[in-house]
Amino acid sequence: MSETPVSEVPVSEAPASETSARRPVRLPTRARTYVWAAGALLLLVLPFYLDRFWLQAGLFAMAAAIGAIGLNLLTGSTGQLSMGHAFFLAVGAYGYCVFAADGGDGLTGLGLPTWLAAVLAVLVAGLAGGLFSPIAGRLRGAYLGIATLALIFIGQHVLFNAKDLTGGFNGRDVPPLSLFGLTFDDSELLVANVPFGSAEKLWYAALVLLLGGALFARGVLRGRPGRAMNAIRDHRIAAGVMGVPVARYRAAVFVLSSMYAGLAGVLLALVFQRTVPDYFGITLSLEYLAMIVIGGLGSVSGAVIGAVFVSVLPQLLTRYSDALPLVSAPGTGGIAPGEASRYLYGAAIVVVVLFLPGGLVRVAAGRRFRTDPGEER
Amino acid sequence: MSTMNTARTTRVAAGAIAALLLLSGCSSKAKDDDGKSDSAAGGVKTGKGISGKTIALGALTDMTGVYATLGKSVTQAQQLYVKQLNADGGVCGYKVELTVRDHGYDPQKALSAYTELAPKVLGFAQFIGSPFVAAAKPRIDGQDKGLVLPQAWSSALLGSPYIRVIGSTYDIETINAVDFLMKEKGLKKGDKLGHVYFEGDYGESALAGSKHIAKEAGLTVVEQKIKPTDNDMTAQVAALKKAGVKAVVLSAGPRQAASLVGVAAAGGFNVPIIGNNSAFAPQLLATQAGPALAKNYWVASPSLPIGADTPGAEKLVADYKKAYPKDSLDNGVVAGWTAAAAFGEALKKACASKDLTREGVDKALLTIDALDTGFGIPQNFTDPKAPSSKESVILQPDKSVTGGMKVVQQPSASTVAEAYTATE
Amino acid sequence: MSTFAELLLNGLSMGSVYALIALGFVVIFRATEVVNFAHASLLLAGGYITAVLHDDIGFWPALLAGIAGAALVGAAVEFLVMRRYRGSDHSVLAIVTIGVDILLTTELTRRIGTDVLPLGDPWGDDVLTIGSISLAHTRIAAFVTAGLLITAFLLTFRYTSWGVAMRAAAESTETAALMGVRLGRVSLGAWAVAGGLAAVAALFLTVFPTPGLERATSLAALKAFPAAILGGLDSTTGALVGGLIVGVTESLATGYQSELSFLGRGLGDVAPYLVMTVILLVRPAGLFGTKELARV
Repeated sequence: MSETPVSEVPVSEAPASETSARRPVRLPTRARTYVWAAGALLLLVLPFYLDRFWLQAGLFAMAAAIGAIGLNLLTGSTGQLSMGHAFFLAVGAYGYCVFAADGGDGLTGLGLPTWLAAVLAVLVAGLAGGLFSPIAGRLRGAYLGIATLALIFIGQHVLFNAKDLTGGFNGRDVPPLSLFGLTFDDSELLVANVPFGSAEKLWYAALVLLLGGALFARGVLRGRPGRAMNAIRDHRIAAGVMGVPVARYRAAVFVLSSMYAGLAGVLLALVFQRTVPDYFGITLSLEYLAMIVIGGLGSVSGAVIGAVFVSVLPQLLTRYSDALPLVSAPGTGGIAPGEASRYLYGAAIVVVVLFLPGGLVRVAAGRRFRTDPGEER
Repeated sequence: MSTMNTARTTRVAAGAIAALLLLSGCSSKAKDDDGKSDSAAGGVKTGKGISGKTIALGALTDMTGVYATLGKSVTQAQQLYVKQLNADGGVCGYKVELTVRDHGYDPQKALSAYTELAPKVLGFAQFIGSPFVAAAKPRIDGQDKGLVLPQAWSSALLGSPYIRVIGSTYDIETINAVDFLMKEKGLKKGDKLGHVYFEGDYGESALAGSKHIAKEAGLTVVEQKIKPTDNDMTAQVAALKKAGVKAVVLSAGPRQAASLVGVAAAGGFNVPIIGNNSAFAPQLLATQAGPALAKNYWVASPSLPIGADTPGAEKLVADYKKAYPKDSLDNGVVAGWTAAAAFGEALKKACASKDLTREGVDKALLTIDALDTGFGIPQNFTDPKAPSSKESVILQPDKSVTGGMKVVQQPSASTVAEAYTATE
Repeated sequence: MSTFAELLLNGLSMGSVYALIALGFVVIFRATEVVNFAHASLLLAGGYITAVLHDDIGFWPALLAGIAGAALVGAAVEFLVMRRYRGSDHSVLAIVTIGVDILLTTELTRRIGTDVLPLGDPWGDDVLTIGSISLAHTRIAAFVTAGLLITAFLLTFRYTSWGVAMRAAAESTETAALMGVRLGRVSLGAWAVAGGLAAVAALFLTVFPTPGLERATSLAALKAFPAAILGGLDSTTGALVGGLIVGVTESLATGYQSELSFLGRGLGDVAPYLVMTVILLVRPAGLFGTKELARV
């Protein structure tokens, strides 16, 4: 699941019946660097060209990608099914508001510098994960999955009822982030004659956060902890016998994954400019699971690809509903865009698991599927 | 990565930044001049949302989520209004076009749809979901300044000059409903009043209303909060019975109404029950709860029902039936029609004063003080801090009437409602 | 006191419906070790078929058709999707069922649209009144049906060859296969049975005191998750006990909302999850679940 040219192992011939026709030509190292550079350049200039709708879609995708990387560490790499990811997103989003707000709207606010608030919100999300780990540590598989579902229900109950902290059903305003004198709000800032609003400014912040998050996760996965996590997923007891401190690792991954979710929550809050409790429900948790399955379990780039797919698809379908066959504008009968995107992403989960084990990232990397990591128990 | 790689990366990055600065010069987003408003033929000032001979309006609706029933009726009624408006020649010679986006009650989709349409449309004739309107509010008030008519009757939305709530908000409607119970159904000072309400904007706005009138009139409110997924009201009825309430207000959906009224009737708990306008759907009369609903259930509504015997209502019923023969006629149709008519009227006024910019339309709406769309209640838009009306109509389910509801109390506002201002 | 008794009885009868749903989870989990998140859509499918047909062919035939239809849908899911999966990670399979659920639920809700469909059951809104306590006939029917079905399953698991095969499969798939157990058949049967159970549960979820089948009916399956887990995912008795605990907890938390208002209002939906969390802390495999034995 590497995306850098570390291994140039000659690829053995695949059986003719396999997908050999699609095998891409491996680019030489130099060319690949240029491809990456071109991609990076493209991402950097996008805010100068795209309008706010697309930037916002991209921001949602980047925030989702950060959250999905975290969930993938937990579910994909360590094999712990979590349906409570939305809860930790909420902790991050609301935590940021509580730390950063100045209390001017009558809600609890500590008025801390916004960058500090963001850091603290991520830490609090991690702490929440840590508090749950006594339960998480005792449970496995399906039991853990459904126990984490409890977090969603209890979390939403708190969001609706703790009005001083959360603002209740109507949510609360999110103070804009400011960093080194630059405020990420809608006050116009001219860069090369292009007006920069919150979406344009946040774009760069999100890119930095996503890159940092992705590199860190890759570091974890490639190193000793990553191998230990995979060992726990593939055979918990054997891992323990071999000297992996299973309980400690599981708790640590839970905390790390929650911190990723917290960071994604902070970013989402900044994009939304207002947090509302309806968002952090079970649907959101399921979407994150869908992302990592569609993108590719256990891989950082898979999480990113899956996040882009799941969060951009409905917006594309809605926007171009008039032009698509089968899909029709709301109110005219036929399949509504919202339904069409649900069909597509439901089908994507099933198809990917059955026919593309390893997820879209395998297709993108052009690698032939070898063995499913979970096949040998 | 090797060190050689790193060096190359640095070089590439430096080149990238240089290229970036070069490239951005020719972006279409770059500001050249502030060509804010153009003067088209006939000297009418136009701005965002008008291109060529079309006025674009947006509708952010929910056709696949929790408010699907409301969203469908509202949207179809608005499409019908726009069609008729265009058939009559449009506004100032412009055709009106309604662009609909279904957000399925998902905050992310709602905000995306708003962001997509906001630069393209003159305003929004529909925006379902008050938390989402609240989320877009800083942008509506700050940069966009287009008129938004939310299909959410939460008092939290009042106060903005651009977001204008049509008809009485849920708190006022609830005050009028309780007033009806006191005047007509024997609820009196010192009694306990049950209130079963949804978690969220709708239910909690309504609760603010019932608490207010309870304080004014010396009642005690017994609260029962429920979720939209709760369809069985047995436990709620048991709790209200235990508390000894003398009447019940229901701020929930049609299914909860059917269950609550059905359970109460079956258990011999015969207190009057009144709901907000969203707590009824004509489909219910075909279910087992039908007879109980017709006997012991009332609904407070911000307008006359779709089956009213005014010429406007009768024409709408006929036209709507022709356009959507399979769909049921409910109060969502009235709400959608009223909002579209208010927007249409504002456009016409703006046209008359030769200013079809967003600012011009906002101003035009402020001059409308008695808009009658054929449903009995004049709408007054001159004060952004107040809803356009404080009156409610009390209805009763009746199978034999179009839309399933007949009027039992004509439009009126209680004295408590007249004096009430939302605290939020 | 009579309020308490009424809430308790109602909780028990509602709990028996949850027990039926939880039993569906248990049957599939025992046979395949997969948590079936698509159960909600099977429920909707069964209810929808019954609701559409009852006008033309009468209630009982429509109910049978609903049970058969949902069983068929369940079997189809097993045959077309679950069986094709090559890996053995049960978490991945659980996520696949989420995909299946999204597909089926989207299709069914699109068909149901904004309607409320009555099921045409014979009980109507009749109520049995004993003293000051009233209990709907539908609920008594639910209680009796759930009791009968769960007893039947206990016996089936213990004494029939299918039950033995299923237990063998749950114990060790390889050994079972070597002993001649046809795993495909066991799993196909489990999915079909779960579908049928879902249809029965759908009936009791949509009759009085609820007005009928509509798009949100399937969400009731979410309440059966804590029921299945706190009883123990592989235990029939656990499904019954778990269902009853969830039903009673929900009913009491709602009925005594005013007394519990310091915990926030609208506690009814949350309380079962709280109880579940506490039970799992003490017994990680649920009340009646088999404690996992380590096999290296």
